[in-house]
Amino acid sequence: MLGAAGIGGPIGRAFLLVGLVGALFGFVSCVMGMRQKDEKLLRLSLRFATLSAVSAVGAFMAMEYAMITRDFSLDYIQKVGSRSTPALYNFTAVWSALEGSILMWLLALALMTAWIAWRYRAKVTDPLVATALATMFVTAFFFFLLTIGPADPFAPGESGVTDGPGPNPLLQNHILVLFHPPILYIGYVGFTIPFAFAIGALVTGRLGEGWLLETRRWALFSWGFLTFGIVLGGWWSYEVLGWSGVWAWDPVENASLLPWITGTAYIHSVLVQERRGMLRVWNLSLLAATFSLTILGTFLTRSGILNSVHAFSESDIGPYLLTFFAIVVVVSLVLIGWRGDRLRSPGIIDSPMSREGAFLANNVLFSVFAFVVLLGTVFPLIVEALQNRQIVVGEPFFDSLATPIGIVMLFLMCIAPVLPWRKASTELLSQRLFWPAWCGVAALAVAVLLGATGLEPLLTFALGGFATGAALRQLVLATRRQKWRGLVGRANGGMIVHIGVIMISVALAASNSYTRSQELTLAKGVPASFGGHTFELKGFVEESDARRTSIKVDVSIDGGKSYRPAIHKFTSMGQNVGTPSVKSSWSKDIYLTLEPPVKPTSNEAKIKVFIKPMMTWMWAGGILMAIGTVLSAFPGRRRRPTDPVSAPVPTALTGTSP
Amino acid sequence: MASAEAMPLSARLKSWPMWMFMAIVTACLLAVGAGREAGPLTQQERIDVITKRLACPTCDGESVFVSQASAAVNIKNEVARQVASGQRNDEQIVAHIEERFGGRVLLVPRATGFDSLVWVLPVSVLVCSVAGLAAAFRRWRREQGLVPSDDDRAMVARLLAEEPEDHDEVPR
Amino acid sequence: MNDQENLAVVNVAPVARSRRSSLIAAAVGVVVALFFVVLVVSSPEDRESAASPLLGNPAPAVKSTTLDDAQFELSRRRGSWVMFNFFNSTCVPCRQEHPELVAFHEAQASVATPTELYSIINDDSDNAVRAFFEANNGDWPKVRDDDGSIAVAFGVAKVPETWIIDPNGFVRMRFIGAVTRDLLTEKVTELQTAFEGM
Repeated sequence: MLGAAGIGGPIGRAFLLVGLVGALFGFVSCVMGMRQKDEKLLRLSLRFATLSAVSAVGAFMAMEYAMITRDFSLDYIQKVGSRSTPALYNFTAVWSALEGSILMWLLALALMTAWIAWRYRAKVTDPLVATALATMFVTAFFFFLLTIGPADPFAPGESGVTDGPGPNPLLQNHILVLFHPPILYIGYVGFTIPFAFAIGALVTGRLGEGWLLETRRWALFSWGFLTFGIVLGGWWSYEVLGWSGVWAWDPVENASLLPWITGTAYIHSVLVQERRGMLRVWNLSLLAATFSLTILGTFLTRSGILNSVHAFSESDIGPYLLTFFAIVVVVSLVLIGWRGDRLRSPGIIDSPMSREGAFLANNVLFSVFAFVVLLGTVFPLIVEALQNRQIVVGEPFFDSLATPIGIVMLFLMCIAPVLPWRKASTELLSQRLFWPAWCGVAALAVAVLLGATGLEPLLTFALGGFATGAALRQLVLATRRQKWRGLVGRANGGMIVHIGVIMISVALAASNSYTRSQELTLAKGVPASFGGHTFELKGFVEESDARRTSIKVDVSIDGGKSYRPAIHKFTSMGQNVGTPSVKSSWSKDIYLTLEPPVKPTSNEAKIKVFIKPMMTWMWAGGILMAIGTVLSAFPGRRRRPTDPVSAPVPTALTGTSP
Repeated sequence: MASAEAMPLSARLKSWPMWMFMAIVTACLLAVGAGREAGPLTQQERIDVITKRLACPTCDGESVFVSQASAAVNIKNEVARQVASGQRNDEQIVAHIEERFGGRVLLVPRATGFDSLVWVLPVSVLVCSVAGLAAAFRRWRREQGLVPSDDDRAMVARLLAEEPEDHDEVPR
Repeated sequence: MNDQENLAVVNVAPVARSRRSSLIAAAVGVVVALFFVVLVVSSPEDRESAASPLLGNPAPAVKSTTLDDAQFELSRRRGSWVMFNFFNSTCVPCRQEHPELVAFHEAQASVATPTELYSIINDDSDNAVRAFFEANNGDWPKVRDDDGSIAVAFGVAKVPETWIIDPNGFVRMRFIGAVTRDLLTEKVTELQTAFEGM
């Protein structure tokens, strides 16, 4: 055993070093190849990208090997490994702390770099592609550097350690730990690709329309993963954390939301560029902002200056990430300042009442939203730096600003899908919006009949109905003309994504406004009732293994099936972790948590009951968003990608603009 | 759409009186819904409302309602005791906790002094960007220069009516 | 190159001599630079402050039981100097400061005005605390705080914290984090001198 254990460290370290060198050489071969116009050198970059990717995979597997063989000679395994962790959670323990999560980031990044190098191997002689590839190599180099320097997952630990505490109990409580982090990371890391192409465009000072299509596709790919990762995170929070919520505006959550917001702005405004050739510099800026925000978010959450439930252990990774953030921002700004005017198009938008006008409004809203989230997240740091005073900015702040922004976004989703490009007349609008608007009135009427109160949720329901009507109208018209093809393509797939977003908004409005909760002390055999349901304590179930001791209570809801909220006490950490139990239906969830202290001998248990309307709609909306994203990635019936979407600007015209 | 002589039923249906009717129905529904009382809160719901306004003092950004940290649990218990005794209203309970732990337990920044920036900045960014957008549209309109004639407008309207509606999918 | 054509390059002529992009980029750069400075000066260190609105004011009422099941009431301790140490047997700094507390407590036996030391148990079980004191000495009373009401009354969020209450029942000093024997002795002497001068 001792012979096999201990080799994971050196092997992993070796892989990381090879990867670092591969990324460095890849960068050099791209840059030198471009300078010397040496095709051979440029083609070599594919080899180096492959080398980095193989090394990253190797390092990751070495880490898994060390984890699975419980190689306690490594510091990281001492921190998150334990002999009593079940196989699944032991496997996922690799990404349960700082070093491992950087390693997973690196894995995704190196694989994507190799994929891009391979995908564009025929076009690598194009300076735009070569610059993009060089950018990806730099990023990969930086992350390899992190894993060799401040976030070394293979650092040797103290000798003589034979067991560890295992991962954080919250990370060994639900199967989603296997899916949420990797999916989120693919989305997060994926935004490197569009950013790299943006840098390529800025450095070369030109935008091929092929660039546009590719970049949009990659942005959509990353956006889809990020979206799905965020939804899964919400579901995980709901299933595991026991406070019956999905989103707490925690700094780590905000860090994932920020690139999502700017990414969403981009995938909308890029359509204006595609159709009208406008907003080029703005779109490049959005991509740069998205990528910078992923790095900033990583800095904020990994450096220990902000803490959260997701808190990673403190390390000296902060200065590295901050420096990289500064480099990214400075390079982007200098390039935009230097090249921006050359890329700008002199087109005009005729009327605010047009598709492009709506996209502009959308972008303004999303930018303000991103600003709100960023400001709220870092404001405590600003106050502390300037006034040396502690304050907290939390959920009520974000809620009170995000709600009006969300309502205006819903309103845009009502009218934007029916707006034509260039200019709409009032008659046209009144024709096209008529039935969608009645859908909104119908939704409002149903909500009022069901007893809904409060202006904000009612507006959300009404606008939600309206926007669903507008989206369905587009889908119906498209499928009528193109049969099943009316469901694919970005406009139609986008409408399906919209319906998903609307379902999530409606579910959030309903569950935030109409959740009922009560604490019940149940005695065995005596049903208690709350919110029209009865709850009866049937008994206690006690289980224990090397990892934890669990107490579950059997609670029958309305005399039917039993639900088992539990409290687990993890032996190594001495930490209590509750696990809720949820009865779901399409109209409402009944969410039970067991409250400490639990004394099985007393035949009494205290439970907390939340009755939350429409939670199922939220998950359905998330799934619909994922389906819609996939559908919109398939090319619909549209012009060939090489057709210029906007004619090159005649030189005569350029002279007239000031 | 442009010619009025033989307006089809669907077009007449979608004329402005129906929109007015819709607006009135919507206003009535909103008035009924938003005007009525939501009913009294249970004691637990009051505790939830109050603890959502308080920050857990040991975990940045998380509310006492969300957090399982021992300091948060202690505060939750204290709020529960205060609510059960029924002597203080929500504001007083929040103030009572703040008195003990200081301003760091307030999740909502104050709207006075330096902290008010956190409210003022988003609003000013919104105002500035809307103003910027408006200025851009004005400039574009100026740059457009030519004023379309009535014939132009009619042509645009005719083409718009013919245009397939999923505008992004241009038929080959 | 054919590849270049595949990308269907649209080379856009520079738009007049406008430098708007540079200006905007420069403005954004300034804002980001300021933001960057804020991030650099933010340190990940603990930012606790020992200020408390209770300092100089009457201590909150404390009524509980000790681990030996004796009644404990702070108001009955009037006339003596009282020291509260909020602690938890699993918290690392608490364990670190424990020998210092033991030393301080032993030294108090031989001074003119001894300070009574009480441990306030924060989120811990009776058995764990008993075991801890058996292993690490310390024979002063340990006061239960099962519902956390004492911690909330004093605004204690994170253990260890140490508080000094004067014979009139007024809160005089608060220490956040681990303390040492010398620090405690020095501060207690200071406070007592000031108190007698009043």
